[in-house]
Amino acid sequence: MNLLESIPEQLGTTEPWVEKGGVHWLTLGGMNVRELAKAMNGLHARFVTITAYQLPGEGGLRLEYHWDLDGQLLGFPFQLAGNSIESIYDLCEAVDWIEREIHEGFAIDFLGREYEPLLLRQGDTPGVNLRDAVAASKEKK
Amino acid sequence: MSYKIPMGPYHPALEEPYKLDLICEGETVCDAKLHIGFNFRGIEHLAETRNYIQVIALMERVCGICSNIHTLTLCQAMEGLTGLTPPPRAQYIRVVVAELERLHSHVLWAGIAAKLMGFKTMFMTCFELREKVMDILQAISGNRVNYSMNRIGGVNRDIDDPQAILKMVEALEREMARTVIPIFTTSRTARSRCAGIGVLTLEKAVSCGVVGPTARASGLPQDLRRAAPYAAYAEMEFDVPVQQDGDVRARLLVRALEIMESCKILRQALAKLPPGELHSGDDKFAFATGTATSRVEAPRGEVMYSVSWKENSRNPSRVHVRTPTFANMPAIRWMVIGARLADTPLIQASIDPCYSCTDR
Repeated sequence: MNLLESIPEQLGTTEPWVEKGGVHWLTLGGMNVRELAKAMNGLHARFVTITAYQLPGEGGLRLEYHWDLDGQLLGFPFQLAGNSIESIYDLCEAVDWIEREIHEGFAIDFLGREYEPLLLRQGDTPGVNLRDAVAASKEKK
Repeated sequence: MSYKIPMGPYHPALEEPYKLDLICEGETVCDAKLHIGFNFRGIEHLAETRNYIQVIALMERVCGICSNIHTLTLCQAMEGLTGLTPPPRAQYIRVVVAELERLHSHVLWAGIAAKLMGFKTMFMTCFELREKVMDILQAISGNRVNYSMNRIGGVNRDIDDPQAILKMVEALEREMARTVIPIFTTSRTARSRCAGIGVLTLEKAVSCGVVGPTARASGLPQDLRRAAPYAAYAEMEFDVPVQQDGDVRARLLVRALEIMESCKILRQALAKLPPGELHSGDDKFAFATGTATSRVEAPRGEVMYSVSWKENSRNPSRVHVRTPTFANMPAIRWMVIGARLADTPLIQASIDPCYSCTDR
């Protein structure tokens, strides 16, 4: 069993890896993102980024966490129940700027961390969903 | 007593706008805070309003130095959604342009580093060499900054005379080996300004998730051209230079050695350039619903694009770009702690920061 194959067992899931669009995807069901970060730290995987999606209609928000393991890109999707998720900044220093950027661009609250100073849009208000703000300004015009 | 010195966003030592708040005791930096966002352009959001042709032109403008890398990564992701495969000749041309761009970026960086060291003659030498690299890029693409080389399923322009380009590359390699690299690696000025300065330890490099030459200078042997080959890199023989010291000199040495490796790759790619078409030739293609991700080793490190599309849509529904400077820049804080105030411009420049990419 190679390292990649051993990860689902370590993460306590029976779901298989799905390779799609250049990423090895693993759906974690009820697993907490902090448990995932701890597991990735244990494997010495390199954090790459988080991609945020605002799903159409009432679909809500989805975050995709990416780590690199020996050149293989791993992806873990998390569907958000509301607009918040626990921060992993204290476990993974590399997430700092991307958590702040997503907070500023999608109004997603990463619980358990501070945001100041503003990373982007200097002088603006933090935690504004830019998509909604742009749509609202178009309607106003 | 500690005091705060703001450096930037507009400062003679910074090429582009970002801000370092340096907390100093005497001449020693105790801590630093970084601020970006002075030129935030909202390109990811803008990309959702562009069709598959326009979005390539838009993303080429994320960066003024590694513009080709952005279109290459984007096109590779879009090829994942359309099922188009570039023909072998296009894959080789992609390697040639990507390595020329790496040369351009590294030589430009060497010039700026020389200027910050107070080594003005070297600055002029590097910029003269950079002109030669840009001449080659212009000979291939007709452009000096935005080359417009990539398209979905291949490239837009051919390399008509690889032997002529090869001669230009060999002349450039001779000049690099004869002047730039020996001076940078052996001169007293370079050594005294760079050795033991701005150290990023291996432990910190791992926890900050740094990429590219910044990571390789701290002992992390990661390079996507080797670990996850794309285009025609699987057919190229080259070494991945790694240094252990993590200081400015290590970052300089890694880039100097990478210049020689790039020349090695260019010689192979130009000598073995296969005959054939420039693109898949399939003008009628459709995007499948879904997300495709692509990663490329840019001059400054890993670039990643996640592109989402809905079937029958003209525009992408989401384009996320993770640039190397976005990953590397937070590490500057750890590099400047304990450094002399006068060394901070060179230390921050040693990661070869691109604020254009960061404030995409």
